[in-house]
This record gives sequence, structure tokens and C-alpha cells, in this order.
Amino acid sequence: MQYTLRVYRYDPESGQPGRLVDYTVELEKGATVLDALGEIKAHQDGSLVYRRSCRSGICGSCAMKINGFNRLACETQVESLGRKPIHVEPLPGFKPIKDLVVDLEPFWNNLHRTLPWLINPNPPPTDKERPQSPEEFAWLEMPMTCILCASCTSSCPSFWADRTYLGPAALNKAFRYEFDTRDQGFGQRRDTLDNRHGLWRCHTIMNCNDCCPKHIRITEEISWLKRKVVEEKY
Amino acid sequence: MRYKWKSGQWAFVLHRVSGVALSFYLIMHIYVVSSLYDPQNFDTVMAFLNQPLFKILEIGLLAAVVFHGLNGIRVMMIDFANATRVHAQIFWVVLAVSAVLIAVGAVPFLMHAGVLGH
Repeated sequence: MQYTLRVYRYDPESGQPGRLVDYTVELEKGATVLDALGEIKAHQDGSLVYRRSCRSGICGSCAMKINGFNRLACETQVESLGRKPIHVEPLPGFKPIKDLVVDLEPFWNNLHRTLPWLINPNPPPTDKERPQSPEEFAWLEMPMTCILCASCTSSCPSFWADRTYLGPAALNKAFRYEFDTRDQGFGQRRDTLDNRHGLWRCHTIMNCNDCCPKHIRITEEISWLKRKVVEEKY
Repeated sequence: MRYKWKSGQWAFVLHRVSGVALSFYLIMHIYVVSSLYDPQNFDTVMAFLNQPLFKILEIGLLAAVVFHGLNGIRVMMIDFANATRVHAQIFWVVLAVSAVLIAVGAVPFLMHAGVLGH
């Protein structure tokens, strides 16, 4: 079946602003947007640049704005998008580097600010591990499925307006450690979270929640963090 | 292509717009109430407010109060009752209940303005 993809092309060296270019590709049933981009790169224009790695929704490299909605190109079947030209654009809210590749440096910086590692000054109670019950671990299952694709942070209007806002992905990581019974890092994370560029910039707009390819209820996690901060404070 | 507007973003924007509108209303309301010190002055203000335009604006005020209040409950449900899973459904309920309340509430305003007859 033939599909038309309207792909954002931008070359910083040309000095021209980015523009949308149409490509018509012949695709088999079940082909994804990533397959379509591969087809374009292989047979029509080898200069097309995009990030991809695993092709199976694990690495989080190929998140992009497809038909106005952030999703993984490798998990989006072209057939599901209808017959109109399919708009393929880079993640919004970040500086474009070239074509579909954006500068994710602010994303990683915000993630690091939440100290996304286990903080516990005490040695493990046994030689090998810090044990947890299945009930305690259940809290971590949802946030741990995050693949750091940046779809959520890039879809967040609060982040568009304030690039120093931690953003949903970083807050998801903060939740993953703050609600880990083995972690004692609240004292160190608190000021980053309880801050106008932290938790309180979330206005429950739900874009992150709606577009997460792993269906993480990020807004719910942010609400848990908000309540934890308020409880600790008062 | 513009980022897709889903229910959450509509809820946020409508909440903001109705909130700002209500703050402006509050200022105007205080101005009207402040004219109470003098009966003559009050009559002049009341005569001015009797224009049909203000009857229409009153319906707008009702709409802003109803939506802002109901969506405020939705936001609290998200923040305090982990309602994230059903946030979109609650938004549609908020819209439906708002529509009914605004429609029912608009009737006396329109009757008073003479649009629907007494």
C-alpha cells in the first residue's frame, strides 16, 4: 500500500528554516513509521537523519511527533494513522539539531537534578542485597518501565514554557526512588522537588500521561510526590 | 502540525480562562458594591447594569463559576484521590453537568432580560 509521509527536514548548515517534505513510500501491512523512514533513507534520500536503535520499543530513541502526538516511531503502525499524509516531526520543546533529531541535553540535565540513584548511607543488611517485599516492590513496577524516550517531557506545556522545570520524566524517576522503601534520599531531593521549577509546575494537563508509550500514570506519581512533600513539610 | 489538544489541555485552558475572568468579575463586583454608600449613586449604577448586555454577561459569569467549580473538583480528585486513570472521563462528566447547569440557570436570566418572556 502507498503512503505519503510529510517529514520535517532541517539542515542547520543550509541556513534555511525547517520545512515539511512529502515522500511517497510503498509499505507492507504492519509496517511502522520507523520502517517508512528507513525506506525513505534507503531509497529516496540518504541524508534524512533520525534516531533509532532497537526497533522494538525498548531503547526509547525513536520518539517523535507523529500526526501531532508524541509516540515511538517503531511502535506506531502506519496503517493505524489513516490515509492522509502522515506528519512526522521532531519532539517539540527541544532545540532541533538536524531533521528529526533534537538536543536532549536539557532533558538529561533535569533528570540528573533529581539524583536518580539509590541514596542510603547504611550498609545493606545482608552481604548481597537490600531485601524488599513483593508489596513494597509493586510501587516501583510502573515507574521502572520508563525507557527515557522523552515523549512525556516534550509533550508538557509547562515544560515548553519553562525549560528548567524538571518535567514528567525526571519526576517519574524521582517517584521511583522516593517511593522505594530502601531509599533515604528525600533530604537531598527535597529542594529540587519542592520548588516552583519542580513539582509545583505541574498543572495536571495530562499530556505526559496520555502519550507515554509505556502507559505510566505520571501525573498520578507527581500527585503522590506532591502529597509526600506536603506531609513532610507540615 | 500543532500538538494534539486532548481533554486535559482543554480542561487546563478553560480552567485558566474562567479563573482569570472570575478575578476580573470580582473587581467589578467590588466596584458595584462600593456604590452602595449613596442611594442615588446606587440607582445610577443599577440602571446602567440593567442593559441586556449585562444579562448576557451574567450567563457568562454563571458558566465560568459552574465550570471552574466542577473542574476544580476534578483537579482535586486527580491530586488527592489518584483519579488520573479516569481523568478524561471525569472531564466529560464535568462538561456535561456544566452544560445542564448553565442551560437551566440561563432561563431565569433570559426571562428577566425579556428574551424568553415573563
